Amino acid sequence: MNYLYEKDLRQMKYTILTSTRHDETVHAIARRLGTGDAKLRMVLIRRFDMSLLENLESRWQMGQEHADNGDPVAEGIGYELFTRFIPLVDPEVMQTIYNKMQAMIQEGSAIDEALARGKALVREAVLS
Amino acid sequence: MKKTVDVSIPLGPMHPCWKEPVRLKCETAGERVLRAEVELGYMKKGIERIMRGRPWQEVMFLAERVCGICSVIHNMVFIETMETISDIAVPPRAAYLRVIANELDRVASHILANFSYCYTIEHETLAMYLLNTREIVLDNLERLTGSRINTAYMIPGGVRFDLLPEDATAMLADLAKVEAEMRRHTRIFETGPLIALRSKGVGVMSREEAIRAHTVGPTARASGVEDCDLRLRHPTYRELGFTQVTRTEGDNFARIMVRFQEIFQSIDLIRKCIDRLPDGPIRGGGLCKAGETSYAGEAPRGELTYSIKTDEYGRVLDIAIRTPSVMNIEACAHSMITDATSIADVTSTFISSDPCIACNER
Amino acid sequence: MSILQDIKNAVRSRSIHVSYVDVGSCNGCDIEVLACLAPRYDIEQYGIYVHNNPREADVLLVIGSVTPQWVDKLRDIWEKIPEPKVAVAIGNCPISGCVYARKGTLTTPPVENYIPIAASVPGCPPRPTEILSAILSVAPLIFKDYEEKQR
Repeated sequence: MNYLYEKDLRQMKYTILTSTRHDETVHAIARRLGTGDAKLRMVLIRRFDMSLLENLESRWQMGQEHADNGDPVAEGIGYELFTRFIPLVDPEVMQTIYNKMQAMIQEGSAIDEALARGKALVREAVLS
Repeated sequence: MKKTVDVSIPLGPMHPCWKEPVRLKCETAGERVLRAEVELGYMKKGIERIMRGRPWQEVMFLAERVCGICSVIHNMVFIETMETISDIAVPPRAAYLRVIANELDRVASHILANFSYCYTIEHETLAMYLLNTREIVLDNLERLTGSRINTAYMIPGGVRFDLLPEDATAMLADLAKVEAEMRRHTRIFETGPLIALRSKGVGVMSREEAIRAHTVGPTARASGVEDCDLRLRHPTYRELGFTQVTRTEGDNFARIMVRFQEIFQSIDLIRKCIDRLPDGPIRGGGLCKAGETSYAGEAPRGELTYSIKTDEYGRVLDIAIRTPSVMNIEACAHSMITDATSIADVTSTFISSDPCIACNER
Repeated sequence: MSILQDIKNAVRSRSIHVSYVDVGSCNGCDIEVLACLAPRYDIEQYGIYVHNNPREADVLLVIGSVTPQWVDKLRDIWEKIPEPKVAVAIGNCPISGCVYARKGTLTTPPVENYIPIAASVPGCPPRPTEILSAILSVAPLIFKDYEEKQR
């Protein structure tokens, strides 16, 4: 259906994401997730509205300071960072991933192994 | 963004309550607003792209045209960034004159924000009283700088015009008038039973949410965030003995009252400045050099950051501006408006965070 | 010259409904238009009423150089205003793009490419009194004997 007044915003969102500070932030998030810049930009443009894109930099900064203090497992996968500060993953999906990792650690696998598995699952959830 | 229901009520881009064009798409279930989405792009001028590769003499004028309402602080922060890069000292008289211009601008901006809020909740009488008081403040800004809106008052190493003794006397008389009028308007706002019904407990933002979205300025101070006023760290304000206003309710009423209280504080600061104004030159010298730095100042809406990289001729190679409205609008749309009980409260809640779209998009 | 036309002229000269649209400025002109509402300038003594509804406006104040979102929407707004209508450009931006008409900009001034402009008030920003006098001098020129001129 062709909505009156609705316009394709992708070009404008791309313009926001390619200014100096936003480009750095996108690069930092992509490195944290282990994906490419262009792929992450595509996801961001599809999921976020324009004001959230403008605020990406300060949310990322506050996330680095305040999210997941203390719990190494949660910090490793960005439990609060990617659900509440930068809402790329649904809270329920994140909770499932977190529970899965806790189960793996309970069963006796190394924390590094569990973290690698968890990060892969988060990346999958972000890019889906 | 993901849709949960299919009823979305668009507000804007042209809306009687909004000074500037922005579009809010509210997803509603009955009267309740589930979530809101902001559509921008109506004011995107690409000013950071224009600034790149230009000499500071040009970027100075471009910097104030990022936002017309708080043009003085944009000018001040850009100039102070250039001074930090090139180690230029400011004469003490010029530093005090800068504070006077900045506080006058802050008073005008806060009155305009409160005018918009009163206009939005249809309290037109108080709105018009406030707008009339704002004219007196703008007269004084014109008396000091020669212009009402885009003043271009500050330059590296000083200010352009001096404050003459007779002008200072006239300014003090006008400030007394503004203060008396504002006391009356604040009383009207604080004690109005219908204003309280529209404002108290509406659009509540908790302290945790305020920190998560990095809100700044009166919006954060109304939610009880301590130590978020950069004037506490500015050397001239420190000399003047500045303290921060904080309220804890976090609703529309608190946000407007914080602005009212800050107006009185600003008037006191201007009085102190005129009282202690040291003698001496208003312009030192200096040469803009190469360097790279990030500097922040307190705009009427909150923390304003300029990150600038220059070359040896004083040309701006790279610039990034982070304005307070970026954070405040985002927090407003995604935490205050979410789960609002009525679609009628959306406009007033949005205006209460003092959104400046020109700042937000640049 | 009919009596009906005379009555229409008399009514129209004392009842001017104004709508303003910001198509991408620094909002300095925006707040100067708002300042016109202040009791100091008292615009209602001239019969000017400011509200932001293009469907019942006579005068459209255009502020700012044109940003990408407004390229198609500005024309829509202009078409929604009932005849007789007039557009006044406020500030330097709609005339030339002011400081934004440089290399790397996203704006596409002037506004005249999108809608017909009857009068311009240059200034960055113009004073409220100048905006007022521009509206008062251009509106009667366009609205006087409108039906006669149509024939």
